[in-house]
Amino acid sequence: MSIFIDKAAQISIQQPLSNEWFTNPMQPTERLCKFSLPNFKQYLSPATSRRMGTALKCALSSALSCVPEEKRSNLDGILTGTGLGSIENTENFLLAMLQGEEGLSPSNFMQSTHNTIGSQIAIAFKCHGYNITYAHRGTSFDSALLNAIIKFKLKEFSSALVNGVDEMTEKYFQLFDQIGYWKDRSVTTDDIRNASSNGSFAGENSVSLLLTDQKSDDTLCEICDTELFYCPTDQRLKEYIQKLCKENDIHQIDAIVIGNNGDDENDKEYKRLCGFIEPSATPIIYKHLFGESFTMSGIGVYVGATCLKEGYVPAHLTMNNCQLNQLKSVLVLNHFKKLDYSITLLKSC
Amino acid sequence: MDSLIQELKEEIIQSLNLEDMKPEDIDANAPLFGEGLGLDSIDALELIVLMERNYGIKLNNANEGKEIFKSIQVMADYISKNRTK
Repeated sequence: MSIFIDKAAQISIQQPLSNEWFTNPMQPTERLCKFSLPNFKQYLSPATSRRMGTALKCALSSALSCVPEEKRSNLDGILTGTGLGSIENTENFLLAMLQGEEGLSPSNFMQSTHNTIGSQIAIAFKCHGYNITYAHRGTSFDSALLNAIIKFKLKEFSSALVNGVDEMTEKYFQLFDQIGYWKDRSVTTDDIRNASSNGSFAGENSVSLLLTDQKSDDTLCEICDTELFYCPTDQRLKEYIQKLCKENDIHQIDAIVIGNNGDDENDKEYKRLCGFIEPSATPIIYKHLFGESFTMSGIGVYVGATCLKEGYVPAHLTMNNCQLNQLKSVLVLNHFKKLDYSITLLKSC
Repeated sequence: MDSLIQELKEEIIQSLNLEDMKPEDIDANAPLFGEGLGLDSIDALELIVLMERNYGIKLNNANEGKEIFKSIQVMADYISKNRTK
């Protein structure tokens, strides 16, 4: 059976619910880049959204934008990856406790759990299907995607929504800053191409992918498979990719989406991976436009799928700054601290 | 009493995130739940927290809340008689 990415939507630091980043991206200038917000009133009534934090409103808006109304209640599953969950609500709640407030706001408490996002999407969709949330740091989105694909292979799913959602608060940003997560200035495209220092810059993202077993006119690409690895050997990765390509009749991978974020240690690992996986494939970068978060790999899959739909990779997304045409296959690589790895293969359809 | 009603309207708008609503939009005698402001059970919890935090009034009996939260006017009457802050 085949699985397709039928529709996709994103809200991030780029233009929201739009593909404008593909041709005319915004250039991040801050170390902490917040969501570029859509007009929520187009998707959520004020009564619905008034208790929601920013991440939740973005997640609901991207999900509603991604899935046509007639398909919402019939989804077989809603799977969400989030590293930090509704951290804004969590902080509000914990801060009130620390300040010794006698009465704590129930709304912040209720919406502080990671699975609030998936459950609120299900409520909005009136979808009673499978609903699960993964909070696995840098492979949260990848875990949700893997779960969805397994369900498709088991023929338990014919359609599913997979989300990757993370926001970044000032307080959390400062905590990460103390352990060297961020650069002392914002990252430019040149920093990504020639990483020589530690740290990246923070982004926020809500990406929604509608997976189906039927191709439509809107379909972005086919998603062949995804796999997670913990501390794999190079041989293990190589064998998996060779098997994957053989099963999908792919003789050469055209491009590899990599998570270069300007951090020297992080980027060297991607260079090493590309070197032994498919040296001739064109590396596609995206974190110079979207920033870094625990679920930014979801944007990586979305970027790869969009390039396949458009049939080319624009120059501003490639490491060598040259446009790549006639795109047929894309491998999406993700690693988190050189411990957790994920590989996703996409092909045009 | 008028200043307490105004204060309550502002507190309710802030605590319940009633976006796009101003104090003058709220009728002090209109029902808070169902019709009128259209609040729900989670808002009732928020109002209980607000009463305790701002006025030192603890509501232990849910039925008591039903009466007190009928309207802002009723809330203001109850607060003025029972407040400890």
